Amino acid sequence: MSKILQIAWREFAATVLTKGFLIGLLLMPFMIGMAVVLMPMLINVKSPAIHGGIAVLDRSGEVVARLREQLDPKVFAQRRRAIDEKINAAMPAAARALTSKASADARVEQSLSQVLGQVPEIEVSLIEADAGLNAAKSRLLLAKSDQAALLAVLVVHSDAVQQPEHGKELGTYDLFVSEKLDDRLISDLREAMKTAIVDARLAVRQLDAGEIRALTRLAYVRPQMVTKDGAQSKNEIANKLLPMAFMMLILISVMTAGQQLMTSTIEEKSSRVVEVLLAAVSPTELMAGKILGQMGVGLLMLLVYGGLVVISLLSFSLLGMIDPWLLMYLLIFFVIAFTTLSALMAAIGAAVNELREAQALLTPVILVAVLPSILWMPISNDPDSIFATVLSLVPPISPFVMMLRMASSTPPPMWQVWLSIAIGIAGMLAAIWVAGKVFRIGLLMHGKPPNLMTLIRWVRMS
Amino acid sequence: MNHAIVLTSINKTFGTKQAVRDLDLQVPRGALYGVIGPNGAGKSTTLRMNLSILFPDRGRIEVLGADSALKAKDRIGYLPEERGVYRKMPVAAFLQHMAILKGVRRDQSKARVVDWLGRVGLPEVGRKKCEELSKGMQQKIQFIAAVIHDPELLILDEPFSGLDPVNMRLVRDLILDQHRRGTTVLFSTHVMHQAEQLCEHIVMLHDGRKVLDDTLDTIRARYAPRALRMEPLAADTDVAGALSGLSCVATLERTDDYYRINLNEGARLDEAIQAVAARIAPSRLELLRPSLEDIFIDIVSHGAQQEATT
Repeated sequence: MSKILQIAWREFAATVLTKGFLIGLLLMPFMIGMAVVLMPMLINVKSPAIHGGIAVLDRSGEVVARLREQLDPKVFAQRRRAIDEKINAAMPAAARALTSKASADARVEQSLSQVLGQVPEIEVSLIEADAGLNAAKSRLLLAKSDQAALLAVLVVHSDAVQQPEHGKELGTYDLFVSEKLDDRLISDLREAMKTAIVDARLAVRQLDAGEIRALTRLAYVRPQMVTKDGAQSKNEIANKLLPMAFMMLILISVMTAGQQLMTSTIEEKSSRVVEVLLAAVSPTELMAGKILGQMGVGLLMLLVYGGLVVISLLSFSLLGMIDPWLLMYLLIFFVIAFTTLSALMAAIGAAVNELREAQALLTPVILVAVLPSILWMPISNDPDSIFATVLSLVPPISPFVMMLRMASSTPPPMWQVWLSIAIGIAGMLAAIWVAGKVFRIGLLMHGKPPNLMTLIRWVRMS
Repeated sequence: MNHAIVLTSINKTFGTKQAVRDLDLQVPRGALYGVIGPNGAGKSTTLRMNLSILFPDRGRIEVLGADSALKAKDRIGYLPEERGVYRKMPVAAFLQHMAILKGVRRDQSKARVVDWLGRVGLPEVGRKKCEELSKGMQQKIQFIAAVIHDPELLILDEPFSGLDPVNMRLVRDLILDQHRRGTTVLFSTHVMHQAEQLCEHIVMLHDGRKVLDDTLDTIRARYAPRALRMEPLAADTDVAGALSGLSCVATLERTDDYYRINLNEGARLDEAIQAVAARIAPSRLELLRPSLEDIFIDIVSHGAQQEATT
């Protein structure tokens, strides 16, 4: 046993105590941190304000004056703020609290002035007759610096406001724009035209536009989950992301440590250290030690990244979403998934002579490991479907899928969890058995890299 | 019990190639045995089976009193033919790792590493990474890894390959050191004169079969000299003419430095020497002892003849 631990320790130290690994380990949290800090700063950077003119051919005769009102900078700013508020309302409560913790009022003031500072200044000119339309369109092609250049040309249909005859649908408008026009300006124009035309239609029918707007507005409603502990605000985004985070935690640590295991096995084989090792320990002890050592590496990653998830949940005061038991299951499923996949990786490492040859054999293993993240959407949408249930019982992907299901808002019944663990352990033992055979034979084989058939023959050899 | 290794009817086949056939071998404790034979004769396979790195298809292996080397691993030292080190690992850490894997207690391992590095004249390399060492230095490190746990049995597969003459002498002295300590040493080589210089006992393998298994002295006695080495005093002597008609001379070969006079079967050595000296004044005249190489070629060609006749 002490020999296995010595091999495990060497494996762990040789992997972890390298600059590359430490940088890699810390790089991701660092990048996430940078993203959290930098993103708001980047978003707040003002894009240059747009100045320019648009030309309108108003065949209905009712729209252009209202459009001018809508394109007034102040109205513009209000409209953009309304969009901001809508987005805000859809954000999780905790995230909203975080972004506007400082002083809500001050931020509103600030954002208003910010928005005002960058609203486009648009001059609206009128095209008197259809004859002028082509001339106006040609002005879209002029260079931006040209005084006569236009950003867009709008043509309001004659039936846009008033029905030409009963039962026919109302008309709309055409929008011609110059190349490379800011997308935001286009949606601004659309919004302004919509309001202008709808207001005109209402006015023609002697309806009060302001009143109707007030009547049709409804605040964004957040669903409230009813649990035994009382009503609780349900957070859809976090509900989707948390299971994904748990699954990715396992996936990243398993794949990283598994790859390391394969590489170190190939290194031992190609540098011929392995024969010296085999004179001291049996192949089984060697494999066990190596798997144990790399499991330590995986656990370290799990600890660092898992800790990060816990800390970030803490800062959003969402920690209550994680059941402490879930962390225990995370550990169990990690051990199962890791041992199963890493045993196969060790076998591949022992079978080939160099990393290049490993690629072909590695593809199925990686495919299996990546499958759950491809199936994340269907599984997390309906964690209790037959599809999800079956996948959560089939090794080697069962640990990943079961983790997804358990972290979801509708966790599976406990008997399924334990069944999955039992099947997972059986699969793990089978993988160790198969891998052990390939490992033992492969280590001393040099020359032509084996294909899948050769590996199967090795397994069937006594 | 007084044998370190007992092999009984060992057979090993790789695919269609039979690497070892019906091999019996007994190595007494404390002996220094050399296994010789050309490449592919089955030397490495035999050594690996002694270590339970490979397992025989048929036959029995007894190592240090245990029925498998697995039970005696900590008492065996092994230097494989293709040897490696962890390239990125510091030398001292590598040796400590190997020592612990060989059953040395962790608290003793460090002192042993320091001691051994001093013994081979590399006291200052402990902190260096293995890949920073020259090839000769790496070989010494690998030798230390094989003996750091004071094994009772030391198995060396081609210990001299790739060494320069200075390091070759160093490794030879280290092997003899171990032998004097009482360690049983079994080593293989395909360079026969190395075995001749070092061994007391020779085992010769050819094509998976044991063709010779005896002490060096017995072998020398059995393969009695059947040739003379002669250098004439005067360089322009007509050697062939002078020796023609001598009944004891079978053939005459000329090499760069001397003449090799092969004697007939049944010719007496003392008479032959006198007869040659009477015909030509020699600057040098001596018995030519057959080297292991000669013996080996003799055995192999005889074997080939026998196979051809049967």
